[in-house]
This record gives sequence, structure tokens and C-alpha cells, in this order.
Amino acid sequence: MSNALWIAVLASAAGTLLIRLLPLLWMQRRLARQENDDSLEAMPQWLSLLGPLMIAALFGVSLMPVTPDAVSWLATAIGVLATLAVCWYKRTLGWPVAAGVAAYGAVMMLLG
Amino acid sequence: MNLQAASSPSRAWLTGMSEAVPLLGGYVPVAISFGLIATQAGFSAWEAVAISTLIYAGASQFLFVGMVAAGAPLWLVVAMTLLINLRHVVYAPNLAPWLTPSRLWPWLMHGLTDQIFALAHARLPQLPAAQRLGWYTGAALLAWLSWIGGTALGALVGGELVARWAMMGEILPFALPALFLVLVAPRFTSRRWSLALSLTILSALLLTLLGLTNVAIPLAAVCGALCFQLVKFGHTAERKDAQGVRHE
Repeated sequence: MSNALWIAVLASAAGTLLIRLLPLLWMQRRLARQENDDSLEAMPQWLSLLGPLMIAALFGVSLMPVTPDAVSWLATAIGVLATLAVCWYKRTLGWPVAAGVAAYGAVMMLLG
Repeated sequence: MNLQAASSPSRAWLTGMSEAVPLLGGYVPVAISFGLIATQAGFSAWEAVAISTLIYAGASQFLFVGMVAAGAPLWLVVAMTLLINLRHVVYAPNLAPWLTPSRLWPWLMHGLTDQIFALAHARLPQLPAAQRLGWYTGAALLAWLSWIGGTALGALVGGELVARWAMMGEILPFALPALFLVLVAPRFTSRRWSLALSLTILSALLLTLLGLTNVAIPLAAVCGALCFQLVKFGHTAERKDAQGVRHE
């Protein structure tokens, strides 16, 4: 890589870190101010709304199969149902994910 | 969600790592693809690894190497990379109420990817304060190292891996939607939340189907937020929901 390209990598890395880091510092200051001022809301409502909604959006985007066709969409639907079913019975993180991947994989292997 | 709290800082590290294991199913195949594509675009293996180590942001890395290979001006490459990562601005403030006083937290934000945010947003509030730093460090470190390792693997032997394990490359990434589903399911607590979350999921999927993957996440979340603000199911539910938002 040329020097200019290295600078582009470093600028992208620094910018990405700042995008993740600066809002944390802003929020920490806001929380500290809120301790001395009861009238100030700890977190703006729109911001606390966006947290769970971003996770829902990540779920929606990730539903798209690697190779979208009828079989992979069917596998996705069955994988989602298997994940939900195990999630319902076992309130852990790993088992529902394992069950979802296994169900998805089984459909792909059998019909793919 | 496993509500059992880790009992010591070292145990918290291990708990964080073990809870981040499902992420590997999504991270490693994508990282292998990135390593392979980066080398095909003219980057050496260690340059691909350096990009994964330093930038550490999936979609924008693919864009970075793609634009460089196409000969785009470098200022535009950097601008587009940062634009794609801009959605991350809402992540840290949502975690801030549960972060303990430590000078390490700002540096650990390097590991705050979409997936680590989703995991931490669900788990940090359930953990005792003393365990949160260890838990987050373990989870974020495993995810980061798997991304770097996957890139190295893809750059060195990616072609052979893809040829031999093509089916695994299709099956393992389903771990990500399964994980997000487990994290988002407990949020369906009222009709108002259910509607907003369902609309977000559907619009994100639709935007992805239309090829607008990069804007799908923020745009779908904004759609859901607008829906939450506009739709109200009676006075009591509305008040309960508003309180729920403040406490989350």
C-alpha cells in the first residue's frame, strides 16, 4: 500500500473510533449533569427509542439469505420459528441460536 | 437471556466470551470473504488484516477495498466509509447508563460493532456493575479477534475454503439473525412496541431486498421511531410505554 492509502486507512479507523467514542463522552457528561439537575432527562427519549429499534433493524437486514432463493427463504422462516420456539422454552442466549442455525442448516442440506 | 450473573471479574470475561460465541457464526464467514476480496483487489494478506484490525467495521471495509480497487479518490473512500459507519453514533449513548467509571471504556468503544451493541444492550443491564467491564471486554475481544483471524484465513486460503466449505458459508451466517431475534424478542412488551418493532424489521428487510443495505438500518429504525411516536393505543398504555422508554 502506498503512503496515501495508509493515511486513508488510518483516517477511516480514527473516524470510525470517534463515531463510536464521542457520543459516549457526550452522554457521560449529560448523565453527570443530570445528577445535579433533576429537571434534565437522563437520556433524550428519541435516543432511548432508537436503541431497541436499531437491533430490530439489524435483525431485518440480517434476514436476507446469502443466496436468496425459495429454499433459503423457507430455511430462513423455519430457522426463525425454531429460534423462537427454543427461546420460549429456554431463556438462554446460546441454545436458541444453535437451534435456529441447526434448523436453517437442515432445510438447506435437505432441499438445497 | 441467561440471567445468571458472573461471580468474579475473570468469570465475567469468560461469560462475555461465551455469550459472544454465537457471533462467530456470522463474523468468521464474512471476515473470510473480506480477506479473499481484499487480496483479489490487490491488497496483501497483512494489509487486509491491518484494515480489519484498525477499521473493524464490516460493510464499510468491503466498500473501502472496492472503491480503492476501482480507483476512487481517497478522500471519497474515507468519506463513504465514515458515512456508512455513522449509524454507530446512537450505540454508545444507549449503553452509557450501565457503564461503570473506568478509563478503559472509551478505548473499548473500538469494539462497539452492531452485534456487540445488540448483545451489550440486552446484557449489561442484567449484570452487576462490578462485572460489566470484564463481560464487555471478553465479548468485544473475542468478536474482534475472530474478525481479524477470519480475515487472515480468507486472505491466505480463502479461495480453497470457499470451494470446499461453500455450504457452511451459507449456513453459519444464520447465527446473526437468530441472535438478533433472541435479543429483540423480549422487547415485544406492548402493542405499541410490537407495531414499531415489526415495522422496523419489515422495512429493514424491504430496503435490503431493494439493494439499499447501507441505509436500511438507520432508515428502518427512524421509521419505527416515527411509528412509535405517532401510534398510540389509549392513555394508560401510552403512559406505560413512555415510562418503559425512559427506564430502558
